[in-house]
Amino acid sequence: MAIMMPASDQAVLARRAEIVAALRAIVPGEGVIDSAAEMRAYESDGLTAYRQPPMVVVLPDTTEQVSLVLKYCAGRGIKVVPRGSGTSLSGGALPLEDGVLLGLGKFKRIREIDFDNRAVVTEPGVTNLAISQAVAHAGFYYAPDPSSQIACSIGGNVAENSGGVHCLKYGMTTNNVLGCEIVLMSGEILRIGGKSAENTGYDLMGVITGSEGLLGVITEITVRILQKPETARALMVGFAQVEAAGECVARIIGAGIIPGGMEMMDKPAIHAAEAFVHAGYPLDVEALLIIELDGPRIEVDELITRVETIANACGSTTCQISTSEAERNLFWAGRKAAFPAVGRISPDYLCMDGTIPRGALPKALARIRELSEKYQLGCANVFHAGDGNLHPLILYDANKPGEIERAEAFGADILRACVEFGGVLTGEHGVGIEKRDLMPEMFSEIDLNQQQRLKCAFDAQGLLNPGKVFPTLHRCAELGRMHVHAGKLAFPDIPRF
Amino acid sequence: MDTLRVRDAKDVEEVVRAAIANEQPLEIIGHGSKRSIGHAMATNAVLDVSALNAITAYEPNELIVTLQAGAPLADVLSLIDAKNQQFAFEPMNTAPLLGTPALGTIGGMIAAGLAGPRRIRAGGARDHLLGAHAVSGFGDSFKTGGKVVKNVTGYDLCKLLAGSWGTLSVMTEVTLKVMPKPEAERTLLQRGLDDAAANKAMTAALGSPFDVSGAAHLPKSAFRTRTEGLGDIAGQGEALTVLRLEGITASAAHRAGSLRELLAPFGTATLVEDVASAALWAAIRDVLPFAASGALGAWPVWRIVCPPASGAALGTLLARETGGDVIYDWGGGLIWAALPPKSDAHAPAVRERTNAVGGHATLIRAAEDIRRGVDVFHPQAVGIVALSERVRASFDPKTILNRGRLTRGATA
Repeated sequence: MAIMMPASDQAVLARRAEIVAALRAIVPGEGVIDSAAEMRAYESDGLTAYRQPPMVVVLPDTTEQVSLVLKYCAGRGIKVVPRGSGTSLSGGALPLEDGVLLGLGKFKRIREIDFDNRAVVTEPGVTNLAISQAVAHAGFYYAPDPSSQIACSIGGNVAENSGGVHCLKYGMTTNNVLGCEIVLMSGEILRIGGKSAENTGYDLMGVITGSEGLLGVITEITVRILQKPETARALMVGFAQVEAAGECVARIIGAGIIPGGMEMMDKPAIHAAEAFVHAGYPLDVEALLIIELDGPRIEVDELITRVETIANACGSTTCQISTSEAERNLFWAGRKAAFPAVGRISPDYLCMDGTIPRGALPKALARIRELSEKYQLGCANVFHAGDGNLHPLILYDANKPGEIERAEAFGADILRACVEFGGVLTGEHGVGIEKRDLMPEMFSEIDLNQQQRLKCAFDAQGLLNPGKVFPTLHRCAELGRMHVHAGKLAFPDIPRF
Repeated sequence: MDTLRVRDAKDVEEVVRAAIANEQPLEIIGHGSKRSIGHAMATNAVLDVSALNAITAYEPNELIVTLQAGAPLADVLSLIDAKNQQFAFEPMNTAPLLGTPALGTIGGMIAAGLAGPRRIRAGGARDHLLGAHAVSGFGDSFKTGGKVVKNVTGYDLCKLLAGSWGTLSVMTEVTLKVMPKPEAERTLLQRGLDDAAANKAMTAALGSPFDVSGAAHLPKSAFRTRTEGLGDIAGQGEALTVLRLEGITASAAHRAGSLRELLAPFGTATLVEDVASAALWAAIRDVLPFAASGALGAWPVWRIVCPPASGAALGTLLARETGGDVIYDWGGGLIWAALPPKSDAHAPAVRERTNAVGGHATLIRAAEDIRRGVDVFHPQAVGIVALSERVRASFDPKTILNRGRLTRGATA
């Protein structure tokens, strides 16, 4: 394993039998799993290159049980790793050898649907898609749609601040959650927010969202639901140069049009997807844009025309416009299947997730091509082009010695380039363990210390999901220390009134 | 009173470090336009960031603008307006309500986080703050977030800074998302509905697929005096329920027609367009019926946020119990309540009724002697108070920044 995890606490491991028994007293029946064979299902998440069986798995089904488990662990210095559906692509739910894996899979009930307040109160183990399905009969849906939406849990979505194809127009998870019930590492149960548009005091909901399971364990979530747009249509536009496709994206946004989704694929991704789903993608183009417009029919029809005009002006070589739902879905089929499609042409692949300013797209692609040469590894690129979120898929073969290391070095260089071009390390997959050691590329020690001090406000012992997000662990006492300046400092000599 | 007018982030660091060493709390101000919101601060030293007023970068094609915290909001709004862009959350101009001259700075806009009518569709200031450079109460400059919309790298400290009323850090530079201005706007006017019926009409509109970007109700009491922006459409002084549709012209017009049909059971709606519609929504955004210069200028004003479908019941009850006036925004989810003068600003009634529906109430306008005896910000559960205090201490352990602004009775 290339990533170092915190050293295992041998004293905790020595007390494993006692800990298992104590957890069984809190969560009776099949809620505690301690056999090696059964725990194998939990040894990794969506970042399958990393595996580690936990010390024990506990699957509580009430908030009180979660609270008691955390309180027990906090009292004995035992680490805890929370887990939803285990679809994290950054290793956010990777277990620890000496840690309790706390699964929220039994929290599977939608507690309340409130159409008048346009809110759904749900348990964290409910899948993203199940929320939309539960309100579909009244024309509503839950907008964020990560591509794993059939499997990923809403609790995991909150922990990771998940995005999706439609977040260009409808925002990420953080823009669509209203409140939660959270259990702190101490076992304390807190309720934050509710069905109001915003909360009072510090925006704790805002900072919990995207905190990657380091601040607390979420046991209930209130999300905002929206009425489904009347219609949606898509354009599929091919370009002979990536630069032209990038220019097209910029001009669409510049014209004041915010599409529901705007995706780009490069040639290797187009070919892989077409071979897999036969969506009718043009194979002789360097870049393909899928642009979806949603809303009232009259608006969609008008915007389709405007986007088509822009695409033509940017030198598009092909342009197809969907005339039916079946056709629109076909346009998307290849994009949505891009990851498994790439999986067919390569034994293994690493999915990266950086964000860059939209304008840097051609520059970033050129850099990726150079790096591909340097590392002698193929790369297929799919992007959420509308918001500059890149998903380069680095192709490698884990059975060939040295390839995984080369692929990881390639990926790290791509993310460094994202930061260099004014972007960030991760747009929607999270830092987890995958990008943990790259954090200093983007943040200074002072920046990271401020973030870790916040962690201390929620979990002073650092027991919840340690080893994720931050490359270096510090004790809270050390972080809280102020620099003591010698003697009394005078206020600086600056203008006074 | 000592006012330190900082010129750059380095100055801010030095001032805060000196303040730590001298155990001297600082009041952080830009233009000071919202100084009367919150409790009197336990300090007489002022850190003035209004000279940190540069527009660092405006990139219309990237939909972002990077600004120093002291940049005047008015200047920034005209800058982005010239490129046909806007802050989609419609930041409120508090000057008319509070009776202050200046419009305020970008830093104040974020620290107060007061969003306008489009909050229901586009989110608040917290949803548009992409990144920030700030100086913590440790005297250290740090950054959080970035310059791109899609970013989950590290904790989202921007969310904490927005709405923190300057108690966590001194922001020095921020990057905000801007959005294209809609080509057209249409507002449906429904006259004569009582609060309960209006709440139902707004709920129906917001539950429709017509993408409503504003839903407000002005009971007839709002028209007792002539208000700028409302004057021409006040009509016979009847209650007015207003629903806004924005977008490309054909779409806004079409949706207005569809919405009118949907709301036919509530009566016949009329329509105002573009300029008149914009003036109406600006009046609602800035709560002009309760302006300091108006008939109710001396009354305390509460800003109550609640589950939207509970709005009418709560507002009607408060108006009846206190003899006050209310107006509704956010489909009922935001109530502005001007209540007759009273030494406690009717706080016990407001808080009890608001708690009953799971909302929260902030005393936005009241004389300082009233604020001394009343919690300006809504009291929270014990566990949340303790966590918030730990969060605050993680940024500012010595309570150097805006000490006492959020909590009654804090002393120097």
